[in-house]
Amino acid sequence: MRTMTSKAAQPAKVQAGPETSGSPAGGPASRRGGKKSSMGVQNLAGWLFSTPFLVLFLVFMAFPILATLVMSFTDFGLRNVTHPLDANFIGLENYVNLFSDDKFLKSLFNTAYFVVIGVPLTIFLGLVVAVLLNNGIDRARTFFRVGFYAPVVTTIVAVAVVWRFVLDPSDGLIAGLLSEVGLTSPDFLGSETLAMPSLIVMAVWRNLGTVMVLFIAGLQAIPTEVREAARLDGAGMWQEFKGITVPLLRPTLLYATVITTIGYLNVFEEPFVMTQGDPSDSTLTVSLNMYREGFNFFHMGYASAMAYVLFVVIMGITALQLRLLKDNTK
Amino acid sequence: MPRTARNASVGIAVAAALTFGVTACGSSGGGDVAADKKQTLTVWAMGAEGEKLADVAKVYEKANPNITVKVTPVGWDVAHQKLVSAAAAGTLPDVAQMGGSYMGEFAELGVLEPVDTKTFNEKDFFPSGWQQGEVDGQAYGVPWYVDTRVLYYRTDLAEKAGITKAPTDWKEMQDLATAYQKKAGTKWGLSIQPSGLDTVQSFYSFLYSAGGEILNDKGEAVIDSPEAVRALKEYGSYFDKGLSNKSVQPGYDVVKDFGNGRVPMFFGGPWHVTLLNEGQPQIKGKWAVANVPADKSSVSMAGGSSLVISKDSGHKAAATEFIKYLTDTKGQADWYKRTKDLPANTAAWTSGDLAGDANLQVFKKQMDTAKSAPSPAKWTEITDKVDQAIAKVTQGKASAEDALKTAQSEIEGLVK
Repeated sequence: MRTMTSKAAQPAKVQAGPETSGSPAGGPASRRGGKKSSMGVQNLAGWLFSTPFLVLFLVFMAFPILATLVMSFTDFGLRNVTHPLDANFIGLENYVNLFSDDKFLKSLFNTAYFVVIGVPLTIFLGLVVAVLLNNGIDRARTFFRVGFYAPVVTTIVAVAVVWRFVLDPSDGLIAGLLSEVGLTSPDFLGSETLAMPSLIVMAVWRNLGTVMVLFIAGLQAIPTEVREAARLDGAGMWQEFKGITVPLLRPTLLYATVITTIGYLNVFEEPFVMTQGDPSDSTLTVSLNMYREGFNFFHMGYASAMAYVLFVVIMGITALQLRLLKDNTK
Repeated sequence: MPRTARNASVGIAVAAALTFGVTACGSSGGGDVAADKKQTLTVWAMGAEGEKLADVAKVYEKANPNITVKVTPVGWDVAHQKLVSAAAAGTLPDVAQMGGSYMGEFAELGVLEPVDTKTFNEKDFFPSGWQQGEVDGQAYGVPWYVDTRVLYYRTDLAEKAGITKAPTDWKEMQDLATAYQKKAGTKWGLSIQPSGLDTVQSFYSFLYSAGGEILNDKGEAVIDSPEAVRALKEYGSYFDKGLSNKSVQPGYDVVKDFGNGRVPMFFGGPWHVTLLNEGQPQIKGKWAVANVPADKSSVSMAGGSSLVISKDSGHKAAATEFIKYLTDTKGQADWYKRTKDLPANTAAWTSGDLAGDANLQVFKKQMDTAKSAPSPAKWTEITDKVDQAIAKVTQGKASAEDALKTAQSEIEGLVK
């Protein structure tokens, strides 16, 4: 959810979505452009152009992913940093231990909590903001778009400073506003019940912009003729939204939901900079737990197993989402 | 998505380091270059030390034209990971600054050169400083600078509360905290950390003063001792009575609240003197430092950094010379002038600013009895268990006895 490049690249793809799925013929026009040349040369050129990527992918992605898998079946610890081959193969022990580890189960629960509340909020608010910005105010549109997108490109450290000020129970922004009306501020980050919701609000604020941009791109790809036709048939704002906007936005909605869910399942930065998992592990997420086990305590094998459990969870949930949301379009 | 990518990249760095590490180990271990030959020494130092050491290196180069010292400043936040990756890859610098808590891990990794005790004499340094560089009785680091925690308190507010002398024992400290809050109208009485990473650092002065410790000399867990329970009870009572803030966020800076009078007492290191003088000039002359209030005795934690030589270094002779320069009396006094880091070498305290400054003498006195934490390889994990026990007590979730009993059994599993 954080890097610019992936975001910049995505809207274009998504924008294409509604158009192709909108025309039932499947758009043969798009296939016409290619020049004919011999397959062999084309293949070779293709391989040549992808070599830099392939090398980088193999060295920096495929190898570590495999190494992590192997490590997750070993007791890889601090000493093995200099003597990796001395690590003992212990089979599934790490995985078995994980599921009797209260801390891990708690972090799993916390992550689920974060996703279950955070994803719908982000998607819903992102959609609302996008629709408002796409229709309503004409003059200050750019200003608002930039405003909502700004948190996305701000570094987490700066974000943390601002939010700490907002949430500070003694002289923060909210505390100040509450004291105006004679109330005392709850201790947001120090309370076990409020810490996680506070982080969720912060994450939603931070990721809203990404989702909004996706939706704006999707909205603009909806042909105006369709809208005009609907209006001629006497559709009101709400009917137009329900009957046209939502169905045609479905591919965008699917994409936004999937990437937001994956991002939130990996949530690390918010608890890392704001609470370090406190109070009493109530904001300890799987990623943060993994980081601590791996890099504070050097239980590399155990942390690797944790990574793979998270990976399987993400795979499962993503597959489920793709199925559920796709089936609806039929 | 990208966030995963970031997490993965940390893993990749380590994994890559591991792969290269296997090969790098084989290639190192060539002959050692004599100290008077022309050579380049690589040195890593952290934080503010890293910046200042480059100046000292220039002075050193002038006196020793055959040596080029290349100093790389490393941020404290990345220091640990960077050192571990370098250890794995066999690319540690010739000389590195190392905090006491890292020592056990790196000794376990087998990447540190034992200290040449013919060149460096244990008796020249504060005992706790020397102990920080030791693992299982073997010295791996030469103490470079030390620090300890003492009690900072607001004298003007104390007077307002009707108390004119520094607290010397636990009762007086709690009485003062109460008086501050009741009579001088401060928000809190004493600032101590309630929970979170390294809470144990503010607990040490209670634990050690009561005569307790986490591990005994034999390396066995003793955190459920009556002394430790007594210390944690006292610590927890500040939160029960509302004298200390139960909720402190990561990155909280006590200096500001000390300046505006919300917090009239805290345990601070030597660097707080400079921070208060420069950041809170309005309270100049309105505060003082005192030795840690005693229970059985007044014992504070000792911190600081040592200098280590990498086992793979090809410049051990020159590295030893350079460390000698940094840790002898003259070098240490010079270092104090540049950084205000407290000299680990006791002889450096006998002249100049160090001998004359009353505040510093409080630190000196505290250093004489200060206790350094042991450094077994799993130390971070062990202190994490103590952190959790403290948090349970300050948040009112468990009694000191129960919390420490749990910590004891967990730590027993870690030290075996």
